[in-house]
Amino acid sequence: MNKSSRLARAALLTGALVVLVLVGVRWWASRAPRGVVASLPADSTQAGMRSMTLYFPDPLGERLMSETREMLEQETLHERTAQLVQALGEGPTRGGVTILPTGTAVMHAYLDDQGLLTLDLTGAFRQAFTGGARTEELAVGSLLRTLSDNLPEVKRVQLICGGTPITSLAGHLPLDRPLDPHDWP
Amino acid sequence: MRRAAVLVALIVLVGAAPAPAPAPLDPPQVPVPAAVGVLSAKVVAIEGLDMLSAQDLARLLDASRFWRADVRKMVLRARSVRITLTVDTPIAIVDDRTVRLAGSVRSRNGELFVPISLLPALARDSSLARLVFDPVARAVRVAPPDGFVGSPRVQVVAGITRLTFPAERAAAVEVAGRSRARFRLRVPGAFAGNLPDSLPGEGLVRDLHVLPAAGSVLFELALAPQTGGFRLLREEGRVSLEFSGGVLPGLERFAAEAPAGPRTIRVIVLDAGHGGTDRGSTAGTAIEKDLTLQLARLLAPELERRTGAVVVLTRSDDRAISQEHRAEAANRARADLVVSLHFDSYPNARARGVTVYCPPADAPDASTSGYTPVSLTPWRDVALRYAVSSRSLAESIVGALEQSGFGPVRVRERLPVPLLGVNAPGVLLECATLTSSDDVSRLMRPAGLRRLAAAIAEGIVAYQLDE
Repeated sequence: MNKSSRLARAALLTGALVVLVLVGVRWWASRAPRGVVASLPADSTQAGMRSMTLYFPDPLGERLMSETREMLEQETLHERTAQLVQALGEGPTRGGVTILPTGTAVMHAYLDDQGLLTLDLTGAFRQAFTGGARTEELAVGSLLRTLSDNLPEVKRVQLICGGTPITSLAGHLPLDRPLDPHDWP
Repeated sequence: MRRAAVLVALIVLVGAAPAPAPAPLDPPQVPVPAAVGVLSAKVVAIEGLDMLSAQDLARLLDASRFWRADVRKMVLRARSVRITLTVDTPIAIVDDRTVRLAGSVRSRNGELFVPISLLPALARDSSLARLVFDPVARAVRVAPPDGFVGSPRVQVVAGITRLTFPAERAAAVEVAGRSRARFRLRVPGAFAGNLPDSLPGEGLVRDLHVLPAAGSVLFELALAPQTGGFRLLREEGRVSLEFSGGVLPGLERFAAEAPAGPRTIRVIVLDAGHGGTDRGSTAGTAIEKDLTLQLARLLAPELERRTGAVVVLTRSDDRAISQEHRAEAANRARADLVVSLHFDSYPNARARGVTVYCPPADAPDASTSGYTPVSLTPWRDVALRYAVSSRSLAESIVGALEQSGFGPVRVRERLPVPLLGVNAPGVLLECATLTSSDDVSRLMRPAGLRRLAAAIAEGIVAYQLDE
């Protein structure tokens, strides 16, 4: 191989490198900001992303830990409460504890003009719950804090289960009255 | 040719580099003390400018984010307000207003960053959360909807001890606990002040601290035993709390508490939790309903021997009984105290120890003489009348359990189901956590339950002697 053909090959390789760099820079510049679904084309027709604060108990059972998560915006109260309860049921990603029983979901949600949210959960919330008073306290606290933090219009919450009132989760703490999130951990 | 190729590559790279930023403007400087429970986000310096990520801005404003990749725009929608940010453009559109920023919106590592010079423009819209920049902490905070609560000051004037503090929502301040040992005041807002370094020695306030609470500030005070009454004064932007040494007309009363000195205990009711088909918590071979019954059977003779009281069990075999029957058994026996025995479990094996639940002292003492406004307590909540005694009982028991090595211990003020309709001081005692291998091995070793019973009895004796 003579000198001129070596130079030609080097120029070809450099050219290929330049094209690769160009493609890379273009890809980098056009990529969507982190946490945003890139396929969302127009803000007026598609749902946006929203930061939600979820509360999970810590591994020692002493207190609640907050976790911020990006979620698709929901339109109705039912959809928003269902989304939050589902996220709590799926569990934390940063070291907390999943406290809501498997199968817990929102059946109905109704908010009156006094800020009282009546939340009807599936029967699993009560039937599949196991634990003592501390677990009950943290489970209810996790639910109340998450709802009140993300739905500012909610002032108190009345929990019902499978369409019927409940007195308690497992016989330790009363749930027969509307609950004020300020009174829970 | 080689040199030419390298030159081409350099030109391409220089062309892709960001343009120099415009001259920075002064960021808004609003001194805001760090406050408990306030949403905040750190500010980062990019190209010499203080910037906030668009993701944090959306979180603080409670906004939804929409990304339009074709025009490299991000739209934040918070309630009815739309904020449009365009990458590499020093302009933001807030609804129909054009806001000139101190520098361009930048994209770094897949995130957009906005100069914080945008914040004053947002403050014009009252429907948005109020964002303020704390230059000391280099963070942007959300001013809480209920505002900030300022530093409390304690003074003694003409025998009255007065605590005053600024609060933006003074009208919504309420008394959350009426016990002299733990007097609690709930104030909407976020605490942005300092507690006093010292308290006046001649005053009635012996201790003052702030408890963590959701969306509000909970001041907890320890008052001198001779404090007779209190008065809460809510003025515009300011709250005063006055304590007097005697019972004066117009003053509110504290929760009922037994006089100091040994307590008369004739009847103790032990409520073995769960039973029958209700097994309670289970972990391995440990079943809560069996453990509570075994513990009650061990504890009863120990208590009879050490306190001289008659001990009544709500159940003496493995059967399910309703809460109403348990309360009725305690009231029929004219209990002087009720201890509901339980064992905890938790989804994580690291959780361990003892938790005691007792009624909160948030109801005034209606049993003492003198004029008080008519207040009706539902029978369901009758145990609230014994909140102060119940708290003493809880602390005596956890103190004894901790000394005997059954910790960690914690006391929670929350009226538990087993005390609904119970007309006596009482506690729900979660004696151990069955999902903790430490706790279970302590219980299951020979004489483990007997040691637990002895420790609980020790605590009840300490309560009886008011030690």
